[in-house]
Amino acid sequence: MMILNGELIEIPAGLGSIPLVEYLRDHLGLYGTKFGCGIGQCGACTIHVNDKAERSCQLTLEDVAGQRVTTIEGLSSDGALHPVQEAWIAERVPQCGYCQPGQIMTAAAFLSENANPDDSEIRDAMDGNLCRCGTYGRIRKAVKRAAAGDAQ
Amino acid sequence: MSRQSTFSQSRRAFLKRTGWSAAGLTVLTSCSGVLPVLPHQKPPEEEGGLSWVQMLPGGRVRFYCPRMEMGQGISTGLIQLVAEELNIAPDAIDCVTPSTGQVPPFKLTAGSESMELFYRPVSMAAASLREHLRGQAAIQLNADPSEIKEIPGGFQTKGGKSVSYADLVPTGSQIISLNDNTVTPEQLKVYEAQNGALSSIEQPAADPALLALVTGREVFSRDVSLPGMVHGGALFPPAPDATVLEVDGSKARAMPGVLAVVEDKSRGFAGVVADKPDQVRQALAAITVTWGHDPGDGGEHPAARLKQFWQSAEREFEHELLSNGQDTGQAAPLKARYQTPFQAHAAIEPRSGSAWVQKDKVEVWCGTQAPFFVQGRIAQLLGRSQDDVTVYPKRMGGAFGGRVPCQPAETAALLSEASGYPVKVQWSREDEFRHNYYQPPFFHEIEASADETGTIDQWHHDFASAPILFGLKEIPKIAHVVLDRLADKGTARGGLPPYGAKNQRIRYSDIRLPISTGAWRGLGTLPNNFAIESMVDELADKAQMDPLEFRLKNLAPDHGRLESVLKKAAEMARWGRRMPTSHGLGIAGGIYRGKTHVAAVAEVRLDADERHIAIEKVWVAQDCGLVINPDQVKQQITGNAIWGVGAALSEEMIFDEDRLETDNFDSYAILRQSEAPEVEIALINPQNENPTGSGEPAIGPIAPAITNAIFAASGKRLRKLPIDTDAVFDQT
Repeated sequence: MMILNGELIEIPAGLGSIPLVEYLRDHLGLYGTKFGCGIGQCGACTIHVNDKAERSCQLTLEDVAGQRVTTIEGLSSDGALHPVQEAWIAERVPQCGYCQPGQIMTAAAFLSENANPDDSEIRDAMDGNLCRCGTYGRIRKAVKRAAAGDAQ
Repeated sequence: MSRQSTFSQSRRAFLKRTGWSAAGLTVLTSCSGVLPVLPHQKPPEEEGGLSWVQMLPGGRVRFYCPRMEMGQGISTGLIQLVAEELNIAPDAIDCVTPSTGQVPPFKLTAGSESMELFYRPVSMAAASLREHLRGQAAIQLNADPSEIKEIPGGFQTKGGKSVSYADLVPTGSQIISLNDNTVTPEQLKVYEAQNGALSSIEQPAADPALLALVTGREVFSRDVSLPGMVHGGALFPPAPDATVLEVDGSKARAMPGVLAVVEDKSRGFAGVVADKPDQVRQALAAITVTWGHDPGDGGEHPAARLKQFWQSAEREFEHELLSNGQDTGQAAPLKARYQTPFQAHAAIEPRSGSAWVQKDKVEVWCGTQAPFFVQGRIAQLLGRSQDDVTVYPKRMGGAFGGRVPCQPAETAALLSEASGYPVKVQWSREDEFRHNYYQPPFFHEIEASADETGTIDQWHHDFASAPILFGLKEIPKIAHVVLDRLADKGTARGGLPPYGAKNQRIRYSDIRLPISTGAWRGLGTLPNNFAIESMVDELADKAQMDPLEFRLKNLAPDHGRLESVLKKAAEMARWGRRMPTSHGLGIAGGIYRGKTHVAAVAEVRLDADERHIAIEKVWVAQDCGLVINPDQVKQQITGNAIWGVGAALSEEMIFDEDRLETDNFDSYAILRQSEAPEVEIALINPQNENPTGSGEPAIGPIAPAITNAIFAASGKRLRKLPIDTDAVFDQT
């Protein structure tokens, strides 16, 4: 069992050892979590386990048994956006957009622990999420904007 | 009748203009029966886009965007043009990425030419629809069309009677789609904007996919899901032309979830279809294949024959880009060699393709810069008519030139044909690094001199690399005979310096390598610009002149636009200011495809204690003519700046003999957040200039601006990318 985006779900027998990212995408159809490298180096597959940012390619289903897992699909509810998503829209961060769900999940977990980060703390926190399009500057701005509670 | 003849005339004119495309097409016909060699190359006719814009019942507009979206934001810019011509808000437009069945074939999306080639045809299509609707409005309002003015979302008579698009196309009535009724260029709003009139075109409209992107709902090519879909994969052959001698799939067949083991000796193919990806991986590992291939191809470093050519005393360069003036025969005082490495696209989305082969049709879902090329390849592969195959292109998680063919879609098609299932094939990150094509290494030698006044008098530049437009291993061997004689213009891109010299000679060789080489952001732009702008800096130093002043003095005539961006970048960076110890400013500039003018200044800080090269800030000034969407253009420039910094500091594919060592992000180092400098951008937008490309130009000057800055800070000249940190900090 695990709690996935607020719902209790059964972990099917025999799948305990497959990577969580694969289970989310190819078994449940939750394609918002992206596969990037499979070795925990790019951050595209970042999700929350008990509100902490984790790489879902580095976790098996067994690892998250009994845990609370949140994906980009469950970051916000009832049609409202998470403040980080609002800041991402206001700063128009994405280019291709593929790494951005992972960036947003990392930023959301980071801001829940450090509500008022400075520039170097933001760089450190976001350093594990690669973006090939080069949106790093806008990511920093959006994290600051979300921290300031100024989504517009 | 008259339209028909206009069309064919401009087609002939096109073939005349672009020599290499015409050559490519010849190869295509001479090799009929083999897979299509090159993607669709024909630029759009000005009047050719009428089927792209439709008025839907109720007054919304559907725009079949004839460009593939990979993060460059081109759909946003083109939507703005449609909105502008039709006097509607961009969000009243449903932008659809068309399948190959919905619109006539269009040119592959590459070369940063989408805005340049498509702004007029798209504007023309939307304006034609507007004028058609004006005619309808005239009938409805019982007025002369010339008396009817445009208002947002409709028309109005002089007397104040108005009619909306929704009134003209009420719900339940037909979609208005044109096949005639074109307008003149002077009737285009983009024409007015280009000629200095105030316009809402130059606005930062947002990507219509923005909300879907930040909520994870956007469907990228890897996110495709089909009813009844299963998964598949194939073994990669050890050489491009390897054949399958024997397959033992008995173990794999008995494994859980395995639906089919597919072997096709004639196509050199062995693969698996299973319920889920982990079952595919396990089953593939359990298959034993005996391959037949020429063992002579393996074992050597992929650049070995290029290095061998470069080091040979008798090397002769096949192609001459330029030869001007009298060779004095005297050795120039400065001679230097520059080098850039193999590089990978490293888009964050590893590619995926899905296919469903049925009796009456073949459907393919994938990310590609060239959907009609993929359609042709899959039709040929399956021996089907091109009309049987429909490609549904999806948004790409980055492409950068690396997604012209879609290899996993071809695998999926073969597996689906054999098994009957809709099959999805997903490449791993290692597959993405190992089995695509690469930016080839470049070797340069420039021998140059300047006279006592600081005027360049000799410029002899030789370089060698691999073919870029003709270097794909997908190109069959039979075509090499023809292609290897052609000068590869991708390799040569950016090889002409913007500076004058009494005596100039530029030669190069494009040597086919045992691995696939192909389009990578900017093609030859980065390697060639690095060599040119490094040598110019060396000449300035030798002449004891300021690097900016030396460049401005030596710019060839008619390069006023480059002069403007060089001055602007310098001004933003406060060029000439006193720098703190270990800080340096460097400058470089370039002209992309003779059209987009760009200059960059970089500030570096050398931390000797940490042995760290910090890029403090990058300033870029660019003139790409009329800017449709400044926000998207700035995004593209920033992306190029980040690529340029990564190329300078860390990016390199490393091979141990023929084995790639850098096959994931732990070993192939793209730039990270902590290393990414702030990028400040100025857009210079002169009147009367056409929009030109933004996706690649700025990649040229960044790396040389950085190495020139390191020279300014330390006196160390770095001639090889990525920069060797030891060479910067070791005392010599």
